[in-house]
Amino acid sequence: MLSRAKEGARPARLDRDRGLVEAARRDPACFDALYRKYLAQVYSYAYYELRDHHAAEDATERVFMQALAGLPKFEERVDDFIASRSVTTESGPDSAEISTFRVWLFRIAHNVVANERRRDRGRIVTPLEEAAELSAPDDVAESAAAREAFSAAWHAVARLPQDRRRAIILRFVDEMSTAEIAAILGRSEGAVRVLLHRALRSVADDLRAHLS
Amino acid sequence: MAADQRRVSEFPVDVDMDPAIRLAARELRADLVRVHPSFRFEEALAARLAAGAMRLRAGLRVEIAEAEVVPATPGTMSPFPSHSPAAQGDAVTAMSPAAARTEPQAAPSASALRRLPEMAARQSRPLIVGGVGVASAAISIGAVYVAWRHSHPASGRMGRAARTAHGRASSRRRTGVINGILGVVS
Repeated sequence: MLSRAKEGARPARLDRDRGLVEAARRDPACFDALYRKYLAQVYSYAYYELRDHHAAEDATERVFMQALAGLPKFEERVDDFIASRSVTTESGPDSAEISTFRVWLFRIAHNVVANERRRDRGRIVTPLEEAAELSAPDDVAESAAAREAFSAAWHAVARLPQDRRRAIILRFVDEMSTAEIAAILGRSEGAVRVLLHRALRSVADDLRAHLS
Repeated sequence: MAADQRRVSEFPVDVDMDPAIRLAARELRADLVRVHPSFRFEEALAARLAAGAMRLRAGLRVEIAEAEVVPATPGTMSPFPSHSPAAQGDAVTAMSPAAARTEPQAAPSASALRRLPEMAARQSRPLIVGGVGVASAAISIGAVYVAWRHSHPASGRMGRAARTAHGRASSRRRTGVINGILGVVS
């Protein structure tokens, strides 16, 4: 996918999912590879946002079904995305990490989760601390310490405003680049950097207060 | 390691100067774990996607469960599998989309809809269920009848005659037994 968003910009690198996407477009059965690759990421995003396993599963299902159904239109949207943003064509460490398919998939996830949150506003949800148990080691003391640390970190994140929290989740759970987060949230890279910076400062203050 | 370096380089410039923010970033990276769904869910969704892919290949639309919850319509009937092909078609079309939306896990996906006639064609077992029901009902009716007979003795002439004859015969029999024991010869 070579494209120039603006004059003088370097050509974008090849999308790392290009091969899988092309295969899935030729034969929808090949979508399975993309599904397996991004299942945990999409599910984690939904889970951290919705804080409920069942709701996260429902959202994940809708995301992948919509992605499968919309795959034939994927190219047009990517072109729009590239035309509207110059992030993929600029130099820097981000460009190597860009996956337009992942951005597109997470845009779907972002919309699905936003709808789900709107729909379930006010519903009692399971505490997210359960997530710590999933990856907790067998050692009880270590497990308790890990849960405590997770709890402190998560409570600090949970107190953040919605846009900062989403940016943090995309950054630290899904390990996305600033450019990808910007594309998903529909903001400029500079705005995302500011979001992350403010969010980290809030989390740092909370963690310091927790420790003291 | 390289990823960490890259991430650090992406943070705002003053991150390097503020150890608290750097510490917070490290904490978050360590504590906000990626969560994986259950294997069962993963495989179930993979099967649904495969069915959706087959539909796409056949030129059909992929069915996507909607997010909004629609309250169940009062008196909505659930489709019941039947042997007749016409009824099978009815059952497929009678599946309320509202019901599908309320339970996305149980939504009638393409594979489920394809399985429906197959499920209907399976040998049903109404006799076992019916037999147990009939036997239970018969026992209950019998018990009720016996209890009623005990509490409502017959009041007609024939009934009185039968009771009298029965009473005489039994008293004569009892007297004979007692006399036999005592050695009384009448």
